[in-house]
Amino acid sequence: MKIRYILLTLTIFLGVALLVAVSVQIRTEILQHQAAQRMVASNAVREHLLLNANALAQERSRTVRLLVSGEADARHREELQEARARVDATQEAAEQEIVERSSDLRDPARSLASLSGVARDLDALRQQADAYLSADPQNPGSEPVQRWFREATRLIDEVQSFRLTLLQQERPQDPALRAEAVLRTYGGVLSESIARNQAILTWALSRPGEINPAELEAVGRNVGRADLAWELIQSQLTAPLSPSVREAISAAHAKYDTTLSPVQQTLSNALQSQTRPAISAQEWYEIARQGLRSIANMQQELLRSSRDRLDLELAQSRRSVFLWSILLLCGFGAVLASALVVRLRVVRPLEALSSAMLRLAENDLSAPLPRQTRSDEIGEMSDALRVFKANAIRRQRSQQDKQMLHARLKDAYRQLRKDLEAAAVIQTTMLPPPSTLGDVRYCGLFRPSSLVAGDTYNVVRRSDGGIGFFQIDVAGHGAPAALVSVASHQILSQAILTRPDGMRLETLVERINADWPEGLPYFTMVVGEIDVGAQRAAIIQAGHPAPLLLRADGIVEPIGDGGFPVGMISSATYETLEFDFRPGDRLLVYSDGLVEAENREGEQFSEERLRGLVHEHAEGSTGILLDSLDRVLRKWRGSERLDDDLSVLMLERLSERTNVDAHL
Amino acid sequence: MLTSELRNNVLVVHVTEKRVDASKAPLFKDEMTRCIDDGHHQLVLDLSGVDFVDSSGLGAIVSCLKRLGPRGSLAVAGAKGAVSRLFTLTRMDKVFALHDTVDAAVEQLSA
Repeated sequence: MKIRYILLTLTIFLGVALLVAVSVQIRTEILQHQAAQRMVASNAVREHLLLNANALAQERSRTVRLLVSGEADARHREELQEARARVDATQEAAEQEIVERSSDLRDPARSLASLSGVARDLDALRQQADAYLSADPQNPGSEPVQRWFREATRLIDEVQSFRLTLLQQERPQDPALRAEAVLRTYGGVLSESIARNQAILTWALSRPGEINPAELEAVGRNVGRADLAWELIQSQLTAPLSPSVREAISAAHAKYDTTLSPVQQTLSNALQSQTRPAISAQEWYEIARQGLRSIANMQQELLRSSRDRLDLELAQSRRSVFLWSILLLCGFGAVLASALVVRLRVVRPLEALSSAMLRLAENDLSAPLPRQTRSDEIGEMSDALRVFKANAIRRQRSQQDKQMLHARLKDAYRQLRKDLEAAAVIQTTMLPPPSTLGDVRYCGLFRPSSLVAGDTYNVVRRSDGGIGFFQIDVAGHGAPAALVSVASHQILSQAILTRPDGMRLETLVERINADWPEGLPYFTMVVGEIDVGAQRAAIIQAGHPAPLLLRADGIVEPIGDGGFPVGMISSATYETLEFDFRPGDRLLVYSDGLVEAENREGEQFSEERLRGLVHEHAEGSTGILLDSLDRVLRKWRGSERLDDDLSVLMLERLSERTNVDAHL
Repeated sequence: MLTSELRNNVLVVHVTEKRVDASKAPLFKDEMTRCIDDGHHQLVLDLSGVDFVDSSGLGAIVSCLKRLGPRGSLAVAGAKGAVSRLFTLTRMDKVFALHDTVDAAVEQLSA
């Protein structure tokens, strides 16, 4: 798997994981927000229902007061109308709230149906009450009032139970909110208890005789319920309530304990004992009304507190959703940005580097390198690649230079070798082939250590019939020695041929020696002349190995014990050695390359071995002797190559009887 | 290929190679020339460790003698076997003062 896929997959995977986590959180927040909205909607509807229940209780009390007062008090009628208008307003507000928040409520249609049912029943009750009030006499019996009161109470209970159903559906999680809802319920119970007693006791005070014991029991029950409600309210004070709520509760409680409760107790006791109470119905009604108002104040405070809390919760959840949404957007942006950065800053440069590397690896030095002006690892890699390419180009150039140089050298070498080969041919053609001059037959062996040699020899016949010969070995070997050998060959040949009669051989050599240029290599030689007629020969040994004289009878003897080389000491003098050279005698002249030839162990062939070999072949012909010499020497060396130039010149004095052709 | 020591104002030059042939002759000549040019004019060339001298080697030795010229003298000590024969064959025994030992050569030169 390529790095780019790994990096991009990793980035995208991490990004998706982040986005999923944030999305889950956003979903939770949205759910919470929706729950808060439902709570707010439920709370708002319940608030209106509570106010509606209170208003209904008020309407009930005022209706009862009118029914039992026995007089069509205009002010009371007006108050009843006000109470009815308040009931209608609160009911309408509740309906409107349900319609407006229908999306946040669980079953708005059923709620509206419940409300309209209450409204319908209420309408019937009102018509009933109006019928009683417009009848003459205006005072209905205790039975209808009682029935009407129960009916109205049932209606209020219905509204309260509807409210509790809503509360049941959306139970608040917050402890303070839950405590406030519970407190409102207890407050409702309390308020209803007081309102019922307000109506019943007003009735009892207005018509003392009409009240029956069941109603009086109801008064006692209501008092008990109110006390129980207060106890329950007290038990809820451990909840984290706001100070204003606590203040409203304690104010309402104080008002109840100091004003309403004692009066109610006194009235209850008086009615039980059938004594005339100290206060009128009117006074009682007013006291109860004030008590109810203080309870309503407490309820209002609770409602406001709940509303505030819910608004705060809603705002918080809304802000939370907003913040998480922003985070989601940021996360999305970050994922996109990191994918983009990975692609632009890592993947693409890596791809470019990788493709350039592959091309360089295939020796494609024209591959353009990606431009990187970065100081990170990719920049370093790019720099290294640049250096690598520069080195590769330099190497390639140097390789090409080397190859060109090699080719030129090869050419030059070929040319040189060609030249040397040509020179070798020329040098060889300068050497006389085996031949016979007069009564002297000669034969040579010539083996250069390289193509050309510093050795040379020649045999010439002077115009007076004398046979001159020489063998030269120029110091060193190779081309310089060969050039000098050619020069000395010419000089010696000419000198022998042009030597005037009477000029001694040593004089000739001394002149050549004296004239020899300082800078040229010196050479050793044997130069000699054979006087055929006198059967004598003379040689000068100039630093050359002593030639071997093979007598016709097989005796081998060296001639001479040395002499100065030519061209070394300009003032050198030479001596001529003269000896008999009769028919059958042979003279073997050789260069030091013969006796100094070394075998693999570094041992020289030596003069002793040469003399032994010559002695061994003394009976054989010159050709056989030279062939043997060549063969033995090759065997001695163990190789075709020689360290030094080697040449041998053999001269033989033919007997008068000897047939020339037979020897050749 | 050469080591040298001064004895009684005579520079004794020992040849450490066994052969003085075409391949060694130029180096030999350079080192000897340096000795001479350094101002040593009484020299003994110790050839006791040398087995073989070829024509190039001999040319190099003679060229040292020529370079020294009339300023001083170059004696040869310890030449033996093939080396000694070469000196005889080329008459160089007439040109160089040959001694069997270095001591003898030094004694002769410093006298």
